[in-house]
Amino acid sequence: MTTKLEWQAANRELMAEERRRLGDPPTAEEVLAFTRGELGPEENARIREKLVAYPELVRTMTAEFPTEGAAPGDSDYLSDDEFAKHWASLKKRMPDAGGARVLQFWPAFGSIAAALAVVFGTLFWQARSELTKPRIPLDQQVLLPDDQRGAGAVGTVLAAQGETFLLIVPMINEPEFNNYRLEIVDVLANPPRRRWSSEPMPRRANDSFPILVSRKFLTPGKYQVVLYGVSGARQEQLSGYTLRVPPQ
Amino acid sequence: MTKDDRFRTLYQKYYRRVVRFYTRSFHLTEEDAEELAQDAFLRFYQAMDEYRGDAEWAFFETIARNVAYNRIRSQKTAKRSAKLVEIDDPEFTHEPAAPAEPDYAQREEEARRNKRLHDAIASLPTGQRECIQLRLDDFQYDEIAKFLGLSLDAVKSRLRDAKKILRARLGDEQTLPEDEE
Repeated sequence: MTTKLEWQAANRELMAEERRRLGDPPTAEEVLAFTRGELGPEENARIREKLVAYPELVRTMTAEFPTEGAAPGDSDYLSDDEFAKHWASLKKRMPDAGGARVLQFWPAFGSIAAALAVVFGTLFWQARSELTKPRIPLDQQVLLPDDQRGAGAVGTVLAAQGETFLLIVPMINEPEFNNYRLEIVDVLANPPRRRWSSEPMPRRANDSFPILVSRKFLTPGKYQVVLYGVSGARQEQLSGYTLRVPPQ
Repeated sequence: MTKDDRFRTLYQKYYRRVVRFYTRSFHLTEEDAEELAQDAFLRFYQAMDEYRGDAEWAFFETIARNVAYNRIRSQKTAKRSAKLVEIDDPEFTHEPAAPAEPDYAQREEEARRNKRLHDAIASLPTGQRECIQLRLDDFQYDEIAKFLGLSLDAVKSRLRDAKKILRARLGDEQTLPEDEE
């Protein structure tokens, strides 16, 4: 007699294969559209197929959620003192916690700020003129998808010289989408921060995308160029290309 | 009642139950569950002004599930890109641990049996396969029904049909154990 454990082992293996085949789990936005029934039949089936391969994520949608709160006096009820501690901690995490104080100081610094605005405006105009001048990139650097690199490698190290250079992002065995999009993410920032994002663009004949980058833009650090496939409302992360920029 | 008063009331009544929701449903540590719960409440507080309906708790539920989804998704995505091998990661269960007394023939036989079961599940029609896969992952009938947007009867019917096919394909000895129901 086959035991349940044996069936479960076979099932886990099947799910792992599916995850490898289907790639990353759906985004929260896709799942929201799925649960609201806003997707067409094909898209709906695609999201469902992916979710079945990630059962922990299905649990976030189906697990029973508390519907009744605790009453004062219950052990689950948070006392006023406990709430005060939590509230103080939450307040610190709110992004606009210091907003009101800054506004109070604003009148006193109004004239200084106005003067600074003129200075920065001029600098901005000069910088813009500089950036719009024609320029020839001196060098180029071909990136390699992270999953194509050997074990232990930590990314391409930027070796291109010059004030500007081309980053070549090759597409290796990537599926067909109507368009593609690139992002440059600063992975050392906490949390990782998107530095740049391209408009959706069609696949090119040579299966690669060049990005013209100024050295000033990529300061020393670690970045990831991320390639997305875009078809209508559907967007899928396809590959990441880690790039380390050493100090000059 | 001001926004802050409404928030405080909900927080005091539900905070510990939301933490328990996270620990029980996703096997998180108490510390991680508290972090998620606070994150969910914080997002809720920040969105309260934009919410115009009268079902604030249902609105909070959506946020809380979303917070859990994003956390687990990011762990899964990170794991996939980092190619880390965890000792209990089901993705690596195809490498059976060495038995106390290695018996090559026995291991071969187990691998063959595992492959037969794996192939049998994989060959089921999609609707039945999804039900069986979730059931084997310990989902309850009502949870499967909720996820797939089916009635309870439809889920039971798909599971019955799937078992019939498996029985025909594998023989009585290897069919799924009957459910307790």
